[in-house]
Amino acid sequence: MGGRAKNLAVSLLLPLATLLLWFVLSAGGLVPGYLLPSPGKVLVAGQQYIFGATGEGPYAGRFAGDLAASLARVLLGFSLAAVLGIPLGLCAGRLALVNRLVAHAVGGLRAVPGICWLPLAMIWFGIGVRTTVFLVAMAAFFPIYQNALTGAQLVAPIWFQAGAMLGISRLKGIFAILLPAAMPNIITGLRLGMGISWAYLVLGELTGVPDGLGAVIMDARMLGQTDIILVGIILIAIIGRICDRLLVGALRLCFKSARRQL
Amino acid sequence: MTSSERAVATTENGMSRAILEISGLHHRFVHNGDSRLVLHDLSLAVRRGELVCLIGRSGCGKSTLLKIVAGFLTPAAGECRLDGHLISRPGPDRCVVFQEDALFPWLTVRENIGFGLTGRQWPRVKLDREVERFLDLVGLGEYGEHLPRTLSGGMKQRVALARVLIREPQILLMDEPFGALDAQAREEMQELLLRLVRQRQQTILFVTHDVQEAVVIADRVLLLDPGSGAIREEMQVGLDRPRDRNDVRFHACCARLHQWLRV
Ligand SMILES: Nc1ncnc2c1ncn2[C@@H]1O[C@H](COP(=O)(O)OP(=O)(O)OP(=O)(O)O)[C@@H](O)[C@H]1O
Ligand SMILES: [Mg+2]
Repeated sequence: MGGRAKNLAVSLLLPLATLLLWFVLSAGGLVPGYLLPSPGKVLVAGQQYIFGATGEGPYAGRFAGDLAASLARVLLGFSLAAVLGIPLGLCAGRLALVNRLVAHAVGGLRAVPGICWLPLAMIWFGIGVRTTVFLVAMAAFFPIYQNALTGAQLVAPIWFQAGAMLGISRLKGIFAILLPAAMPNIITGLRLGMGISWAYLVLGELTGVPDGLGAVIMDARMLGQTDIILVGIILIAIIGRICDRLLVGALRLCFKSARRQL
Repeated sequence: MTSSERAVATTENGMSRAILEISGLHHRFVHNGDSRLVLHDLSLAVRRGELVCLIGRSGCGKSTLLKIVAGFLTPAAGECRLDGHLISRPGPDRCVVFQEDALFPWLTVRENIGFGLTGRQWPRVKLDREVERFLDLVGLGEYGEHLPRTLSGGMKQRVALARVLIREPQILLMDEPFGALDAQAREEMQELLLRLVRQRQQTILFVTHDVQEAVVIADRVLLLDPGSGAIREEMQVGLDRPRDRNDVRFHACCARLHQWLRV
């Protein structure tokens, strides 16, 4: 067996074992179907949710629309968090004054669990896209900010000295030295932020928006459709994983500092 | 003779004028409340094209002096002048080869060497040709696309040397650049350095622990004395180049420097 095949087998071991356990539990009648539907039932529900024609069932064919809605919200919130978090984190990491200025504000806000923002967001933005985007951005901001800050603080002083003696101005040094040197930490922050974005997306969509993967899960609970809940969970797991890989891939494509230091 | 008189004397006994002039330099470090005077009324001068070695016990302030000349540190008192201009901050007229690895790990060897040229509005072709030339000069022609982490210590220092030589600094500051290499690699690097810098009349202030190294490369050796915090001894190495490490006079020079360090 080649190294690649071996690695693949190892990485699939746990998912397959889980699937097997699930089979045993539901098929053996150990757990009643309304609590844990069988894999077959979930597969059918999923197949209908994704590929079915509209009208075949309550959720048939809704996947594409839900995915588009959720993806848009995640990307919007995540982008907002990145656009604010990276520059602010880098500034705070390099400039003691900025760090002192924002330390209490950011530290205080972070101490508030993200879910606390939900009532306020609903009052401010009503039920809908903006509440979800706000929650996602709020939650994703902190890991992105914190990792950018740490990355900026950890840049070896000798690199800035080397840059200065080679005639690189401070402004150019931001792009030539600070950003690439902090890149590994920035990437860690973005990946954590992306992960948390999906968590808060579902939270935001639980509040009664008509579409989105989180909305489907909540809706299915009210109709007692446990199979659809499981379909939603599995899809979010898969899409979240794909998003993470795409994020890393995009960063590696765009920045050679990401390509070479990861 | 006080150290400032010595600085003047060294400028006068040579043929060319001093390019680096340091006079009355003081520097102290404050650490946990108590302050320690590291440099005390230190003066020295380096002539254009001269290779000066600075030796001294560990912790006597050699790196501190180099950092002040590089502009990374501001002295408590005294001044450094390069070609008559007061040194106040880092600049490409004074480039440093550090003892530790200071290459940019996210850039290839080629990009590291070309880094200092990015500010110039040169056409791409000219830039590439210049980088290629220096790549060959330091004998790394085949390693252009390698990342620093895949290089040995000696190769890294070659890159470090190329990336500062390409900027054509007025003075090259070298802080124990070969200190981390084994004896074989160190001798190779010393030869390479001499080959590269002698023909271009590069001025160098070179810090080292290694007495042999000083005698192999230096025109003049200075002793930085930890007690007084100033230059206490000076020796002109009058040996012909290339220098023979087995020569009696070579050994005599080494013995003298050893003697300095022991006192
Ligand atoms: N940033 C600093 N803060 C406090 N003390 C310092 C600092 N840098 C250096 N020193 C002290 O100043 C003295 C001189 O340090 P320096 O690094 O210049 O010595 P050196 O001659 O280069 O030694 P070595 O040969 O070991 O490199 C040392 O005693 C050191 O402890
Ligand atoms: Mg030192």
